[in-house]
Amino acid sequence: MKTAERLAQAVAGGVHRIGQIAIRPRLNGHGYEICHIDDEGLSPAALDFREGPAAARTISTWAADGHYRFTKGELTLVRGWMLVLHSAEELQQALDAFYPAAAGLWFAQQDGRLEVEHLRDKLNRQTGMYRFARNLSDGGAQRLVQEVCGPGHCCVKKILWQLDATTPLEDSEASRFDGVVGEINRRQAIPLLCREACNHFVAEARKASKAEATK
Amino acid sequence: MSFAPKPRAALLIVGHGSTENPDSSTPYFEHADEIRSRGLFAEVHCCFWKEEPSMREAEYMIDAEEVYVVPDFISEGYFTQDVIPRELRLEGPSTRRAGKTWHYTLPVGVHPSMTALLLQRAKEVAPDARPSETTLFIVGHGTGLNQNSTKAIRDQVELIKASGAGYAEVHDAFMEEQPFIAEWDQLATTPNVVVVPFFISDGLHSYQDIPVLLGIEAEPGEAASQREVFRHNPHHLRGKTLYYSSAIGTERNIADVILDQVADFDSKLHEDR
Repeated sequence: MKTAERLAQAVAGGVHRIGQIAIRPRLNGHGYEICHIDDEGLSPAALDFREGPAAARTISTWAADGHYRFTKGELTLVRGWMLVLHSAEELQQALDAFYPAAAGLWFAQQDGRLEVEHLRDKLNRQTGMYRFARNLSDGGAQRLVQEVCGPGHCCVKKILWQLDATTPLEDSEASRFDGVVGEINRRQAIPLLCREACNHFVAEARKASKAEATK
Repeated sequence: MSFAPKPRAALLIVGHGSTENPDSSTPYFEHADEIRSRGLFAEVHCCFWKEEPSMREAEYMIDAEEVYVVPDFISEGYFTQDVIPRELRLEGPSTRRAGKTWHYTLPVGVHPSMTALLLQRAKEVAPDARPSETTLFIVGHGTGLNQNSTKAIRDQVELIKASGAGYAEVHDAFMEEQPFIAEWDQLATTPNVVVVPFFISDGLHSYQDIPVLLGIEAEPGEAASQREVFRHNPHHLRGKTLYYSSAIGTERNIADVILDQVADFDSKLHEDR
């Protein structure tokens, strides 16, 4: 089944949340409406109505304080909008702009075909200016997860990777976070999954390993 | 060239992206939107080196079993030859893995059809400048790190010279190697000068660094979307009339070059069979 069809099926089955976005079928039965979870209870008149998946990129680019949201798992999605999507395909496209690949990653996890890559594999395959990131110590890597990842920092994804196949992440808010924002039934949400450390983390790992080397 | 639709295949546009500047990835999304709007592929997606989705995440967005991967880069080099094949686990022009076939095309910037886009952009930015009184500069970064990007620009300069477009002079020029774009007024002997940056996006180079080298700006400015560096043509500087274009990759018709690369890939595949 195609991703868009599975998405439609999931929404029909009660899934209504991904990250900071609430999803609901339109009352006329055609398509979907999505908005910020904190705007769910607001009168539609209070929201800026947008149409079509292309608007998702505009909405998700800047945080309210004006900074560029280059990691989409940030808890900084702006409020005040309602996006109308006319099909499951448009819903998939919009969600892939807000939370890139998140729906597909979740379906892959359900199917048992999600490939998780541990941090050492990720760092060891870096070349060029990021090659130095592989020198980061285990202790430094554990600290970095707690300094970079998790809802306290820039990301609300559920971390699936470990340092390596036998070294789990140390217990912390970042390693415990389950990828769902807010107190809702977990079965009604698409969790945001982190299958390998992102390139922002790699860039930070490079800095941290350089700092270790100069100590 | 008319493009034969591929209703069962996906197109994956690969871009660099940026953690500093969202304008960097805007062209990729626009190229994807343009191709999507034409209904030529079952799916059109983007993925990035510095933004999300990453290249390794991209496959989880794709339903199709056949995927055309087009690097939206201006030249062959480190990214197209090392990083993208490594991240997408490509083993050659076509790679079969886990039920999918991945076709890897050449980057957009090396396609001969870029020449027409450069000429079109030069005409748009300086509609009143007679080519016979105008020097056209195609500008790149230029470093020892990637000779291919300077080659791509020099190739385009030769193609433009041979095109019959009628420009008095056509030059390659670079930010960090000779001939230096900072010396544009000495390199050009004509009263009019048109400068087109040979980059995919309006990143730091095209909206900050090159305007300073040209003398349009005294200091590096803000992000392109927040300012109007490209909208004040012409500039009367150093005794000449200067027209400065935004990066060639911001041209919506790059979508056609992406399709040209896919079509060329298929032609080559058929030749090899």
